[in-house]
Amino acid sequence: MKDKNFTIGAGFVFFLFVLLQVTKPDLYISDRGLLLFLILFFGGILQFSTRQALRGGEVFLRSIPAVKAVEEAVGRSTEMGKPVLFVPGIQDMDQVETVAGVVILGHVSKMTARYETPLNVPVARSIVLKAAQEACKESYLVEGRSDIYNENMVHYVTDDQFAYAAGVNGIMNREKPAACLYMGKFYAESLLLAETGNSIGAIQIAGTASQSQIPFFVTACDYTLIGEEFFAASAYLSQKPELLGIVKGQDIIKIFMLTILIGGTIIRLIYDFNLIDFSIIDFLTMSKGS
Amino acid sequence: MIWKRQVPIFIVIFFGFLTLFGWFTDQSDIKDFVDIHGLQWYSIISTFAMFLGIITLVKLQVLKILKKQNGWQYSIVAVSGLFLSIIAGFVFKGNPDVEWGAHVIEEGTLFKWIFDFIFTPLSATMFALLAFFVASASYRAFRIRNFEATLLLISGMIIMIGRVPLGSAISSWFVLYILVLILGIVVNSIFKNKQYTAIFVAFGVIGVTVLGSSMGWPLDKPGIFYLPTLQEWIYRYPNVAGARSISIGIGLGIFATSIRYILGLEKSYIGE
Repeated sequence: MKDKNFTIGAGFVFFLFVLLQVTKPDLYISDRGLLLFLILFFGGILQFSTRQALRGGEVFLRSIPAVKAVEEAVGRSTEMGKPVLFVPGIQDMDQVETVAGVVILGHVSKMTARYETPLNVPVARSIVLKAAQEACKESYLVEGRSDIYNENMVHYVTDDQFAYAAGVNGIMNREKPAACLYMGKFYAESLLLAETGNSIGAIQIAGTASQSQIPFFVTACDYTLIGEEFFAASAYLSQKPELLGIVKGQDIIKIFMLTILIGGTIIRLIYDFNLIDFSIIDFLTMSKGS
Repeated sequence: MIWKRQVPIFIVIFFGFLTLFGWFTDQSDIKDFVDIHGLQWYSIISTFAMFLGIITLVKLQVLKILKKQNGWQYSIVAVSGLFLSIIAGFVFKGNPDVEWGAHVIEEGTLFKWIFDFIFTPLSATMFALLAFFVASASYRAFRIRNFEATLLLISGMIIMIGRVPLGSAISSWFVLYILVLILGIVVNSIFKNKQYTAIFVAFGVIGVTVLGSSMGWPLDKPGIFYLPTLQEWIYRYPNVAGARSISIGIGLGIFATSIRYILGLEKSYIGE
């Protein structure tokens, strides 16, 4: 889509939004209006940075060691003649972390196809099974190695959390993979998996947005993609300008939010010293007090 | 090709937009779809997808048994367990007095027996292993290798001791004496001079003793060196600050990933 067409499209959507707001105000839940505005505003920033990147704008990305280590891990497995184990978490495709994990699996399977390294992907949900199979199949096809693609490389274990952990631990102990990648949503099984992987001497890379599991992965794994790094990993691995642009857009939003945080703190501090009569907390929480 | 490329992308974009903006509207049809029908669709699809999982599982495990691959004996247990559960769930209740459907929760049925005496103990065993893994992982994390690991060790110790009854019995003056000795180590490692270290430690111990005597050695004063107060501060401020920054990053990452899908920029799920 050209920039002119995009501007016309965005203008039309905005016009439609305003028109509906004026003619049918009951259609919207007014309490959620600010959130809707913020989504549109931040979405606009992401779209702007994407288009800038597509036009050839330079996007600088700091290197993330964990992302670089993914290719090294696959290379290590190739040299050792051992498989790569990829665990896409224990949740279904309705979780964005699982989706991000399956996207990264697509990139990892491209590498395993290139190096002819065995890949083992045990999954805990049937829909994830199908999505992961499709991602791997397409990757092997894209790399021109559909001949070595085996549907059984992605296989279902069980839906139950600890039974799944037991199953994957069993696979680790029997097959001794040289690289274990954990990318998705995890709960208490994270440490069970990562410690077993550690005990067999595998290089381990984890990526999750499950905040309570990050410390366990940091402790037991060689590299960990923490929070937003995990979601940005797909862009890093693909190096596509439209995805890199989104990462830049995220940083712009972060600067914007940081400015609000610091500005809000300063305004509150001035209020606490009785220099102004405007309480930002009351304003933001719509409170009528003090 | 259109079925493999454009149609899936269109479905993702359409339902992505519908679900996102459906949350902001009061229109009952859209609201019902987002809150009820969409979720029911998902449940129905995932239930049918379960068959795919079972077929894959049986196929893989049976192949393993037939080819006598490494660990094929475990596959026999897996396949037997699957069929036993299916029989207990759909064919044989084990107690004719209990109604079908209720047999999964009522006592005295085969299904409930499997759940109570096989499944639950095995799950509990796996969960219990976590305690040992936490111990080994903590040992590795707390090994003093660099500044961050040292900081983690000190914070971890303060939180652990400060949260148990023993922590509230330790006087803040005792912590101050320990601190003087630790600072003595720091002084020694910087200047590498025994005299400087001795002078520093001596002045430190005398200073703490004089201060303590003048204040009457209260257990919890100065508060900053009282372990329960200190651990609470670490837990409420540096810990929350770090956790919130990660939360903001995660929120932004989820938002950006969702936008990537809704706008059709991310097409890795169809192999592009």
